[in-house]
Amino acid sequence: MAEQEKPEGGAKPPAGGHAPPKPPPGMAATPWEGELVNDVKRQFGAQILEASSYLDQNFFVVAPEAVISLLEFLRLEADFDYLVDLTAAHYPDRENQFDLFYILYSFARNERIRVKTSIAETATPSTAVGVHLTADWLEREVFDMFGIRFDGHPNMTRLLLPEDWQGYPLRKQKTLIDMDNRWVQENLGIESGQ
Amino acid sequence: MGPQHPSTHGVLRVILKLDGEKVIGTECVIGYLHRGVEKIAENRTYTMFAPYVDRMDYIAAISNGLGYCLAVEKLLKVEAPPRAQVVRVILTELNRIASHLFWLGTHALDIGAITPLFYTLREREEILKIFEDYCGARLTTHAFRIGGLQYEVHDGLERQVKDFCDYIVPKIDEYEELLTNNRIWVERLKGVGILTADECKQFGVTGPVLRAAGVQWDLRKAQPYSGYEKYDFDVPIAHGADTYDRYVVRMLEMRQCVRILRQAVEGIPEGPILAKVGKVIKPAAGEAYVSIEAPKGELGYFIVSDGSTQPYRLRVRPPSLINLQALDRMVRGGLVADVVAIIGTLDIVLGEVDR
Amino acid sequence: MKKFLRTIFLVDLLQGLWVTFRNQHPKHIYTEQYPAERPKVAERYRGAPRLNINPDNGETLCIACNLCALACPENLIVVTSERNEQTRRKELTEFTYDTSRCMFCGLCEDACPVDALELTQDFELATYTRDGLIWDRQLLEEGPKPTPYRF
Repeated sequence: MAEQEKPEGGAKPPAGGHAPPKPPPGMAATPWEGELVNDVKRQFGAQILEASSYLDQNFFVVAPEAVISLLEFLRLEADFDYLVDLTAAHYPDRENQFDLFYILYSFARNERIRVKTSIAETATPSTAVGVHLTADWLEREVFDMFGIRFDGHPNMTRLLLPEDWQGYPLRKQKTLIDMDNRWVQENLGIESGQ
Repeated sequence: MGPQHPSTHGVLRVILKLDGEKVIGTECVIGYLHRGVEKIAENRTYTMFAPYVDRMDYIAAISNGLGYCLAVEKLLKVEAPPRAQVVRVILTELNRIASHLFWLGTHALDIGAITPLFYTLREREEILKIFEDYCGARLTTHAFRIGGLQYEVHDGLERQVKDFCDYIVPKIDEYEELLTNNRIWVERLKGVGILTADECKQFGVTGPVLRAAGVQWDLRKAQPYSGYEKYDFDVPIAHGADTYDRYVVRMLEMRQCVRILRQAVEGIPEGPILAKVGKVIKPAAGEAYVSIEAPKGELGYFIVSDGSTQPYRLRVRPPSLINLQALDRMVRGGLVADVVAIIGTLDIVLGEVDR
Repeated sequence: MKKFLRTIFLVDLLQGLWVTFRNQHPKHIYTEQYPAERPKVAERYRGAPRLNINPDNGETLCIACNLCALACPENLIVVTSERNEQTRRKELTEFTYDTSRCMFCGLCEDACPVDALELTQDFELATYTRDGLIWDRQLLEEGPKPTPYRF
């Protein structure tokens, strides 16, 4: 039976007006039972905040400190050896403003899971490069777009934007209109890129 | 190796650390084609965003559209009707052949064989004519809509596809005659850019690069979407994991695409072409990740929806970006000319790398 | 021995060269001589936009419903209308379409309920000024008139 599960952070009522976007209301996720969940819960206990499934896609919600050890555990014990994607989302009205998503896939089991965690704006989560080599550029891109620095990353520089660009575009406070035009004016000599 | 270079498939800058002629390290500088597609997505409705998606991997635009429509349909919990699914498969496989033909032409051009470029682009013209007849554009097709298709199949699609299948197989044989046993080709490509299966999995490299390393994994077989389980086709692999094997794998893949096309065009079922999704697309709040087997690798869309008509966060997992990370490992110990060959064999499209 | 002979006499290279020579036959010429012969584009080709006119009475088909402007991802259509008191309907006064930012995606064509806005098969849209690409109603109804070349 489907139960209403609210993610940590809660669904705040809409602020009204146009300015900051509303945080997403809770999604209708169902709890996920299984052998993998039991193994993980036995190993990590209270750090696993939630193990649910939405639209047949399973995901764990964990505390930020446990992410790297969970990734290692999943890779070594449960064959999740392929990090498909690493991305983030920004919820400006929440206390822990960023959500980090790690999407993992196992060739042996043909199964895909997500690991989700919430971190504060100034937090520096540890890097996943030690566990999966793919995380190298993926973390650089998250830093580039959101400003989340990863602790222990060998080369934490911008990937897609120029080196001296100020600001982090994919955060919600920047709309397309008030994007930083300073770099374009200095380097290209044009008024605005828009 | 600067951004304006005829062999870097777009604007890619590779800083090479050289010891004489041997390459000891590389660093890729990308971002010249960054257009902020993910940020644009947050300001457009789901229907409005579909044309932007084609412009990422512009060589094979139809796969991008398919991945996006599948991701939004998953969030909406609808499935496209069977007729739409079969036509989607037909267009996607044609798209895969077009992408591999373009890859072959440009890769051969990089290596130095100039003639295959003309022939492959001529073959690609036939495919683009089919796309033009169907949806009105050759490159940025915007062929699929959320929930199915917009346009009814035009008269003569089946005839055109069948003629194309008969036309292309001797041409693939011709390319193989031109290149496969050619000693220059073999010398340039064998043993260059080896990326073993373990390294592929560590780097997250997918697509023909992974299949050339011996891992028989294809998302169309492992997690079928859009009716692929109904078709009978093989997944070609090779065991050498070098550039020559990737060439062999892609040529075999083209033949398998023709096989799927012949099966798909046999019986296109009758029925509606668009599922009932309503004019305004407003999926329930939630997250979903859907990925498809694009010609370049695993193309994934991760959409976080907040219940409104605009996506809250749309993330595209670009296969070319992840494959490009492995460039560093593959060029160690090679020569500068090998760098060009390896960039070609990874089949990157800068539109997708930078989005 | 056979392999040695194949290597000495460059058999594999000649095989490739033979493919090239085979393709030199004039029947394989694929080039289209462009300005002299225009390519035939498909019926559904998404080219220049056009506002259709009712052929019977010469009036525009557009009912100024603004659906095309709402559907455009780039917000480049501006429709102004005024209400005609006699027929109690909206009448189109001005219609501005910015082809410089247009992606030719076809969403406006799909949205139009009366088939007034249509993307035609014209692809020769070049102008000398950037402002020349912002089309007003008259240009939209007549279509672009590219200079035909005479040889």
